[in-house]
Amino acid sequence: MEWAKESLEKVERSRETRLHQPAPLPNEKESENILKNFHPDYLGKERTVGVGPNAGDQKFPLELADLLEADSPLPASHSTEPDIETDVLIIGGGGAGAAAALSLEGLGLKTHLATKLRLGDSNTVMAEGGIQAALAENDTPRKHFADALVGGHGENKTDLLRILCESGPEVIQWLSKLGCLFDRNSDGTFRLRGGGGTSVPRVLACRDYTGLEIMRVLKDAVRLSSTNILEEHAAVELFDDGNSTVTGAVLYDRKKGSLVNVSARAVILATGGSGQLRLQDFPTSNHVGATGDGLVLAYRQGCRLKFLDSYQYHPSGACYPEALAGQLVTEAIRSVGAQVVNAEGVHFINEMAYRDVLAGAIIKETREGRGVTTPNGKMGVWLDTPMIDMQKGEGTLAKQFPGLIHRFERYRIDPVKTPILIYPTLHYQNGGVSVDAQCRTEVNGLWACGEVTGGLHGKNRLMGNSLLDILVFGRRAAQSAKDHLPERGPLTLTNLNQFRKNQLKPKYSPVFFPEASKMKLELGALESEVKITESPSSEQTGSFEPPDPFAR
Amino acid sequence: MKKIEIKISGKPITARAGETIVQALWSAEMAESVQTGCAGGVCGACTVTVRYADGKPGGTELACMKPVEEGMEVFPCPVESDKAVEPVANADALTLQSVFPTVNRCTKCGSCTTACPMSIPVMDSVMRMQQGNFNEVAEDFTTCIHCGLCRFVCEDKVKPHNMGLWIRRSLGKNQDELKITIEDSNQVEKEWQYLLIDEKQERFQRAKKFRESGSL
Ligand SMILES: Cc1cc2nc3c(=O)[nH]c(=O)nc-3n(C[C@H](O)[C@H](O)[C@H](O)COP(=O)(O)OP(=O)(O)OC[C@H]3O[C@@H](n4cnc5c(N)ncnc54)[C@H](O)[C@@H]3O)c2cc1C
Ligand code: SF4
Ligand code: SF4
Ligand code: FES
Repeated sequence: MEWAKESLEKVERSRETRLHQPAPLPNEKESENILKNFHPDYLGKERTVGVGPNAGDQKFPLELADLLEADSPLPASHSTEPDIETDVLIIGGGGAGAAAALSLEGLGLKTHLATKLRLGDSNTVMAEGGIQAALAENDTPRKHFADALVGGHGENKTDLLRILCESGPEVIQWLSKLGCLFDRNSDGTFRLRGGGGTSVPRVLACRDYTGLEIMRVLKDAVRLSSTNILEEHAAVELFDDGNSTVTGAVLYDRKKGSLVNVSARAVILATGGSGQLRLQDFPTSNHVGATGDGLVLAYRQGCRLKFLDSYQYHPSGACYPEALAGQLVTEAIRSVGAQVVNAEGVHFINEMAYRDVLAGAIIKETREGRGVTTPNGKMGVWLDTPMIDMQKGEGTLAKQFPGLIHRFERYRIDPVKTPILIYPTLHYQNGGVSVDAQCRTEVNGLWACGEVTGGLHGKNRLMGNSLLDILVFGRRAAQSAKDHLPERGPLTLTNLNQFRKNQLKPKYSPVFFPEASKMKLELGALESEVKITESPSSEQTGSFEPPDPFAR
Repeated sequence: MKKIEIKISGKPITARAGETIVQALWSAEMAESVQTGCAGGVCGACTVTVRYADGKPGGTELACMKPVEEGMEVFPCPVESDKAVEPVANADALTLQSVFPTVNRCTKCGSCTTACPMSIPVMDSVMRMQQGNFNEVAEDFTTCIHCGLCRFVCEDKVKPHNMGLWIRRSLGKNQDELKITIEDSNQVEKEWQYLLIDEKQERFQRAKKFRESGSL
């Protein structure tokens, strides 16, 4: 990092002083100013939409508004003959979907789980920092609640939030029984860390691979369950019975290139977030499938969406080297002592400020010329990682954050010795489909859980509350679907056709993949092709053997 | 930005120096040629093998993490997941052998260790499995992303990462029940009533106070 030598020297010189005189947390007035002037949510890049249940009321980011108004890619002639009959169809193979599947086990219900990529390829597997649960001696679910409510600017749905906080310990117990290994102290108790906005250490972790640990265990357990797993099956549209009850879904089988109609008595939507929409051209920390598909599907069925004017821009996305741009550097790094420092070596804000305020403050710093410019013309500020070992003892960073070290190693950057450059990255969809405490959407037959829902976190989510969310509410959605299972209804596209009458944009949605990837599902073309070549297409559908890489 | 040439399954494409194989494929409208999941190095979907023009030894990589290099040839190498195996509490080396009979077939060739994109000492860990040193194995496999490359390259059908996960989950089953403290239910209800007051502004103010005091 020769190009940044001068600035790095300043950072080193100021370290001793900063260590003893850290910047204070911003007060309310300062926070408000930062948010209003610099946070991407507050810059007016949003508008209302002209169709559907939210028409004319709340605002959506421009990119999302376009998708909500767009047409379905499903050909109008699509047949509604069921190919699969099941009791419960779960859409989405991340943590929320997997938790729902496991909770339906042993109830005598036939369950299918359809997911766009492979099982577990999700935002869940990427989570680094940890999961909150009120387990400390001096902690209670009420403290957890108060922290999250203040963090969410008081906007959280309180019935959901209470359930979240009260279920923390029980979920950790459930995960442990499944075989998750969280980090422990030398005395055998769970190691609990603080996070931005927690008043008591409350975050459990498995190094900086917490989501990986949870997801690989859930994935293994789902594979061992009776759930029918449909990998690389993207949900394209939902069916209704002609009377506003959801009765199934159309899936696109990516391997076979064909559409599959599923009739289900209950549909649980667990499609996660939408960071890959890359609002305002921000980079994102999200997985490839996070394109907000579930929002679009639910919206066409008449489900209202909530708080989607609010997204979380994580303050610490990597911004150098370019290959890592947008990838997350966990907040836990900040909670163990790495300060956020500008090009001049000044600790311009306390890094334990709420995420939205800190992200705004970093954007402010770079806009006002106190950031560091990379050789590619990107701007960022320093995250002073060498401070961790200085404070917590040599080897701490490597031991607790192997993922960070591993990622930067390739680029010959050693975070133990050199600070890393960060800039906010689009991270989390705070809002989503509106649900009640049983995870029921406003439409009969359709449940939703996880990042696709909105309300629980208010306008800003605290670190570690999302992993808890997806497990608590994934399990709850399953329970509720079982308790209120409707009778099987006919498959119709009544809601979609109704929606199409008012449809405004000549574009198609969902988009399924990031725009930058240029991947698309060409469903219109497909429908006509399928009709011509109906019979012998099954060759390509056989098993999926890895080709010999050197054969060609 | 410097342009360089790479090949995907024999097809030449132009990439920008400094980007990853996946980023190059996206720009070349060839995203479908290598499967991706997270694009962040943790899901294990994007396994590929690479060869270099300059004769440097090639090997296995994650396409989403590997920066492109001049003359590099990339071949997709997707690995199917193997059947899951139910974990067992109080497992030892014998239990492991009974559910993974191939554990003893390891010839110590080291291919798995070389193939692992997470720098896990896979072969050494297979030795530890044979000896029943499960705590060490669990530590070794903490960062395993289940890309399956170690199994893919093993000619003796040893399944290191499947065993690694099985051992971790089996150890997990030995964990003590959580001690969840039973609180005084009157006090608990009082606190909830205080925090859940209907009026939004007041609720917010109360939550702020409660954060500081921790109780009523
Ligand atoms: C890098 C990163 C780090 C994070 N760190 C933390 C942390 O430390 N602590 C914390 O609490 N939270 C963290 N989060 C947030 C948290 O991981 C996610 O919010 C949460 O895991 C979402 O779970 P989910 O099951 O709702 O969605 P996901 O895990 O994203 O799963 C959704 C699934 O649905 C699939 N899908 C999408 N569209 C379709 C479709 N049309 N048809 C079929 N399937 C579809 C997706 O491919 C995916 O498999 C982090 C997030 C990221 C991205
Ligand atoms: S590749 Fe197979 S045989 Fe070779 S060291 Fe690894 S486990 Fe043993
Ligand atoms: S141990 Fe095997 S499966 Fe795990 S990361 Fe390494 S090569 Fe991949
Ligand atoms: S796409 Fe997930 S590891 Fe590369």
